[in-house]
Amino acid sequence: MSVLEANDLNVWFDLPHGGRLHAVQGVSFNVKEGERLGLVGESGCGKTTALLALMGLLPPSAEVAGSVTVNGEEILAGGEDAMRPHRWTDVAMVFQGAMNALNPVKTVGSQIEEPMKFHDTSSGAAAEKEAGDLLELVGLPASAATRYPHEFSGGMRQRAAIAMALACNPKVLLADEPTTALDVMVQAQILQLLLSLTRDLGLALVLVTHDLPLVTQVCERAIVMYAGRVAESGAVDTLFHDPRHPYTRLLFAATPDLSGERDVASIPGAPPRLDRPILGCPFEPRCDRAFDHCKVETPSLLEVGAAHRAACHLNDGSLERPSDREAAR
Amino acid sequence: MKSVEPALAEGTALVARPSSGGNEIVRVLKERRSALAGLVIVGFFVAMAVFGPALAPYSWTQQSGPVYAPPSSEHWLGTDDSGVDVLSEMLYGGRTSLIVGFAAAFVAMIVGGGIGVVAGYAGGGTDNALMRTTDYFLVIPDLVLMIVVATVFGPSLSHVILVIGLLLWTSTARIVRSQVKSIRERVYVRRARSLGASHRRIVAQHILPQVAPLLIATTVLTIAYAIFDESALAFLGVGVPGVSWGTMLERAFERTAMTQGAWWAFVPPGLAIGLVVIGCYLMGQAIEDALNPRLRVAHLSIKSWRFRTTPNVAEGDAS
Amino acid sequence: MHRADYVIKRLAFAIMTVFVAITVNFVLFHALPGNAVSGFIRAPHVSPSLRAALTHEFGLDRSLWQQYALYLRELVFHANLGVSFTDSQPVTSTLADKLQNTIPMVFVGTSLAILVGIVTGFLSAWRRSGVVDRVSTSSAIVFYALPTQFIGMVLILLFAKYLPTAGMRNEINNYFSSGSTWSNVKDIGLHMALPAATLALTLFGEYTLVVRSSMLETLGEDYVLTARAKGLPQRRIVIAHALRNAMLPIATLVALSLGFIVAGAILVEIVFSWPGIGQLVYSAVSNRDYPMLQGAFLILTLSVVFFNFIADLLYFKLDPRIAV
Repeated sequence: MSVLEANDLNVWFDLPHGGRLHAVQGVSFNVKEGERLGLVGESGCGKTTALLALMGLLPPSAEVAGSVTVNGEEILAGGEDAMRPHRWTDVAMVFQGAMNALNPVKTVGSQIEEPMKFHDTSSGAAAEKEAGDLLELVGLPASAATRYPHEFSGGMRQRAAIAMALACNPKVLLADEPTTALDVMVQAQILQLLLSLTRDLGLALVLVTHDLPLVTQVCERAIVMYAGRVAESGAVDTLFHDPRHPYTRLLFAATPDLSGERDVASIPGAPPRLDRPILGCPFEPRCDRAFDHCKVETPSLLEVGAAHRAACHLNDGSLERPSDREAAR
Repeated sequence: MKSVEPALAEGTALVARPSSGGNEIVRVLKERRSALAGLVIVGFFVAMAVFGPALAPYSWTQQSGPVYAPPSSEHWLGTDDSGVDVLSEMLYGGRTSLIVGFAAAFVAMIVGGGIGVVAGYAGGGTDNALMRTTDYFLVIPDLVLMIVVATVFGPSLSHVILVIGLLLWTSTARIVRSQVKSIRERVYVRRARSLGASHRRIVAQHILPQVAPLLIATTVLTIAYAIFDESALAFLGVGVPGVSWGTMLERAFERTAMTQGAWWAFVPPGLAIGLVVIGCYLMGQAIEDALNPRLRVAHLSIKSWRFRTTPNVAEGDAS
Repeated sequence: MHRADYVIKRLAFAIMTVFVAITVNFVLFHALPGNAVSGFIRAPHVSPSLRAALTHEFGLDRSLWQQYALYLRELVFHANLGVSFTDSQPVTSTLADKLQNTIPMVFVGTSLAILVGIVTGFLSAWRRSGVVDRVSTSSAIVFYALPTQFIGMVLILLFAKYLPTAGMRNEINNYFSSGSTWSNVKDIGLHMALPAATLALTLFGEYTLVVRSSMLETLGEDYVLTARAKGLPQRRIVIAHALRNAMLPIATLVALSLGFIVAGAILVEIVFSWPGIGQLVYSAVSNRDYPMLQGAFLILTLSVVFFNFIADLLYFKLDPRIAV
């Protein structure tokens, strides 16, 4: 049973000078208990927006449609006010670069206890003890509770942020680029922490990142997003060995440079603008296997294997392609 | 009137691209409505200062009507306590006030900009010494020092300009220094240094063009303070000799125009000063905003995102 | 331990600044050619005895350094700022009297300005781009731009019939000595209304803009998003996270501005004939009363230094990140 399910999620942003940006277009996915799902794509593909939409953390310029359910209960449709009780208690989030995600003028401990008090899950001395326990769970000393964020290094702050995220025993943890801006050694530690938390606590994890090696290390399944849509989804191994969308293939095949970073921007071209409707497949201009039909019709997600889907006309056997014509001759 | 702007402007994030200063400003003025409004206002008064006195209907020193006559078709803004036409006084006085404002701001720009560049570029001991000096200057209440100096040295146009200019340079210096420091560390500057370019060349070719827009923005704001200060000095009796908006206000006060109901004797100069200050403020702020984009989305506000309940319409709604 | 070092450092700076101010004072009045004091002494209307007293007091018959030392000694150890040229009274006591008049009026006006500034600034940031925002910001800019004396004069024009615009019956520092307390307080209150209102109108604009900008900055910070993500009620986020952090730059900027207000009040006092330090400066200027002017300058500079130091302390108290 899915612990978190997003169905046909759409997000539009009003632009300052008129017009709208369709940042997330019909995205659906789900996570089960203890499962780790990756959300990957270039910057601007809508993965962060989709993640924020799961918790309703969007600005007033946004309009949202679709459904988000936690253990079957719909949490998005009621708007900001209805969402509030579910935040942190059902779904919690760890942000990119905990530099500023923690309030600099409050102690770490008080920030961990804060949601406990306001969601009525604990208070007073009990809350203090729980905060201390959470800190130890993430590998920090309990005494860290009386310190201020600036007294910690980036990695330690991120751990504190994770401890804070667990304060109300959420079922799902969303992580938006949690290890960017941390150095490699620390990255590995944080990832290890997240792995053990999902195993030990049965926590479901949705990890947004542009870093592919990370996804292959940590996640079991992944969603590849492009231009606000899902390009392909499936088990990470399958995506790596049998990609059914040219974008996925190019992503995973991009040559790593000496520092081990894969530069996704090494695919030539740029993603399409999202403030106007797109005719046909959004990836077509950059695709190395595009054919005529790709310009005409937008591909929908097709089942291409066990729990493996891709939005690409190449998987559609009913379509005639130039290579088929050649093979037939 | 001291502003607390230095504290706000210091340490603000700076634009990373080495763009041409002039183009930036023109672009800002074209795009932002507030900047345009500011430009129009200031432009109007500058034109008035240049052409006004030639167009003045009457003398601005000789009596041309009854004392404290209200506005009429002969005297559009009425007459003052000596029967002098207020409109003519405004036109000529505007020239004086604006000259003081612009000249003083220019002095502040040269001194402040110079000190800022030297402090920012040289760094280390020079920087420290200059900044300490700036700090001391900042602490001294401008108005009082101006009064004291003007009293001791005697009032004259150049004295007033110098006194105002020499007290307003501090915020310019700080802002310029901040930016010079960050420009100095940029790749293309370091490259030039390693290629052996002389300091003078680097400053002239790389640093000054980059600093120029911000310097102009701060100077525009300084003009506003200078004009304000001129009126304050005039009110205290140590302003420029002759007619200026500041002296018009002072005379109206001395002759109790307010209690006599002769509003035309002081409302025009007061409003004029206010308008010029607003105009300068709008322009300066707009340029500064454009150079230091702080495009922050508020994460919390009274409004909230909307949920669409009707069935999803097709792609064609991206309009 | 090293947090306390910060306080000491700032205190040392404050003292240094005071010292510099005193020296600048001295240089302006004594050392420059055509200096004020010796010029005055040579003026024909000065009586021989006053001339002799001043010569002795200012040590004009001694070297410059000795004059400086004398000046310092008198100032630091005897709080002696000399004697006024106009009424031959000690400058220090006159300053003290007048300060007692200025401070209540400035206090009322400034408190009003800060209050209005904080409320309008906050509402403007909270309801960004709404009607409240546009009206507040526009009026802030307009009143900020209009010359202080002009605002005062307009208020006189509009309200002269309803409120007194000059001439308090008793100066505040005397009100204990005559008449009933209540009628004195009422008299003072009525007389204070317009000047305090003028000061408030002139000052609030700056505060509104500062508060608004500070709040907008804070509301855009990541920890506000985190607080929202934690499902905290809006009120909690605004008060405990946004305001708490925005207060930092606001408090220090307010403290910094206070130092300059006493000087800015000069214009208001002149317009309303308020018997305070501003009025004193004005008459000292007209009468070329240099010791008085010099004393007033020193006091005003000291007030700036003092409030700057308070601002440093506030910053220190509010921000746990400060370290030397």
